[in-house]
Amino acid sequence: MVEFSTILAGFGDAFSLYNLAFVLFGVVLGQFVGAVPGIGPIMAMAIAIPFTFGLDPLPAIAFLVGVNKGGLVGGAVPAVLMNTPGTPDAAATALDGYPLAKQGKPLKATKMALFSSITGDTFSDIVLITVSAPLAVLALKMGPIEVVALMIFAFSILAGLIGNSLTKGIIAAAFGLLAASVGQDPENFTPRLIFGYWDLFDGLALPSVAIGMLAISEILHRLSEAHGNMRPAIIAKDTGNPDDRRVTWAEYWSCRFTMLRGATIGTILGALPGIGSTAAAFMSYAMTKAGSKDPGSFGKGNIQGIAASESANSAVVGANLIPLLTLGIPGSVGAALIISAFMIHGMQPGPLLFENQGRLVYGLFGAMIMANFVNLWVGQLGLRLWVKVVSAPESIIFSSALLLCFVGVSMATSGLFGVAIMLIFAVIGYLMASFGYSLVIFIIAFFLGPRFEKSIAQSLALTDGDLTQVLKSPVALALLILSVVSVVWFLRKNVHGEDE
Amino acid sequence: MNTMADRVSGLFFMALGLAMYFWINPNYIETVDGGNISPATLPNIISIILAIAGAFIAIKPTDHQLRNPVLMAKTGLYVTLLTAGIWAMSWFGFEYVAPVLALALMWLIGERRPLWLSLGVVAMPAIIWFLVTQLLGRALP
Repeated sequence: MVEFSTILAGFGDAFSLYNLAFVLFGVVLGQFVGAVPGIGPIMAMAIAIPFTFGLDPLPAIAFLVGVNKGGLVGGAVPAVLMNTPGTPDAAATALDGYPLAKQGKPLKATKMALFSSITGDTFSDIVLITVSAPLAVLALKMGPIEVVALMIFAFSILAGLIGNSLTKGIIAAAFGLLAASVGQDPENFTPRLIFGYWDLFDGLALPSVAIGMLAISEILHRLSEAHGNMRPAIIAKDTGNPDDRRVTWAEYWSCRFTMLRGATIGTILGALPGIGSTAAAFMSYAMTKAGSKDPGSFGKGNIQGIAASESANSAVVGANLIPLLTLGIPGSVGAALIISAFMIHGMQPGPLLFENQGRLVYGLFGAMIMANFVNLWVGQLGLRLWVKVVSAPESIIFSSALLLCFVGVSMATSGLFGVAIMLIFAVIGYLMASFGYSLVIFIIAFFLGPRFEKSIAQSLALTDGDLTQVLKSPVALALLILSVVSVVWFLRKNVHGEDE
Repeated sequence: MNTMADRVSGLFFMALGLAMYFWINPNYIETVDGGNISPATLPNIISIILAIAGAFIAIKPTDHQLRNPVLMAKTGLYVTLLTAGIWAMSWFGFEYVAPVLALALMWLIGERRPLWLSLGVVAMPAIIWFLVTQLLGRALP
């Protein structure tokens, strides 16, 4: 168990002016890119990771946490003003945010989104800080056999939950594992699938693969649809009533149960690998509407709708880190990117992180809490500015993002070879997305691949290659049975879906 | 129901799995005596899974709709341009290639306004140069 002095030292590290500056920078950048439809916090984090190499671990991670959290707040701005969510998470926000903006209350809508986002985010952060250390202690009791079973279970859940086809999910996971097997094999250290390119001996670089698949492939998609026009934000006439430009305490308090429900849904779904914040936002919205005395007002500018959506999608961010910090399994691409920053700075994700790097983990928690306050402050000041950002031309945004990706990956991989790999994976990512294969599953499988293979090797060493030994581990057995059950359940669900 | 996209992708993954299992893995993975797990074990298992799952998708496709082929062709144009950009950077360096690449990209997107063009072609590469070489002290590609 982590000592109290370590916890205090971690929080002490986080609450320094130096870290505050990086959190602030991250939040500003996150809100900025979140407000640009098509960029979003994930792409911004992917691009930013290589630029954090020169930093100490805590400010680097604090900066990325700021980008992620700021992006969720920023994503609500184009959803409200243009009915074009900056991030998929904000799609449910647009349902009531846009009508409210058209009624001449764009600032009320964006401020409600901001307040409920911060509320949901803070709730899930508190849950994360409270439950992750005890869970990590439990996770430490797991041996390699249980870890292999856990990963198989995680893959089966991810493949079933993301996308509309379990088979496609399995293919994406297998393809990610195949990409992870390029380079030296973890057991014998012999070169594998490098085709004579010794630059591949250490494997495909995570920044090249992640930025290619998550950032460049999406930019390519957006580029093909771009026309070089300015996107018009709605010009809403001000009603002249000061109350329409702010959220009163009474209005905020009237949404308390909605936000609590949204935050709870977001936290529960966020703790499960694979269920994204978009699902949480829509589930919270649907439940709020179903439980409302006036369901007819939803979709016409009801602030309860904004509160439901934003509190849920923001609550996912903190909860996503629960499986990551306790089991070493990222629940989302955002979590995978944060942990890749951990790995770049020489830290191995998983339950041992609390034991070996407890101070840093609590520093991360401190940075997350700090980022919530900074998000609120920057959001209050910056909302008017982000309104301008949503109508910035795509031409400059995408060309600049591409140049930043080139430079970032070149820095991370020490040369243009990594940039070429990035472009190859951008094309693979673009084609996979075009044919309906999940990039999220691919990336998570790619990230987990080396650990998966190493755990298999350790399990075989422990059992002398006797697979029946698995039967002696109740946890592993239960996880493997759950994997089979989930695969059968998802297959049946797919078949029923097709029949309907 | 249009099932062509899934049939094509399913056949591709089936072919990839088979090619990996029968040709690529045996030729490009060294065999090692000893150890708990051979270097080819996991790639072989994955190849089999890919081939079976690919065949399954080809036989039982969903009605997933492919992106507009015109847009995909347009994407090919951008990929060609970016490939040329990387190749040019390996010869001439970021400082010279980035403005030209930015101009070509912005022009292809349809940007014609001089102010935005100059911002993208001059200001952005300059900002990146300053950020990387002066602030971070790192080398540009």
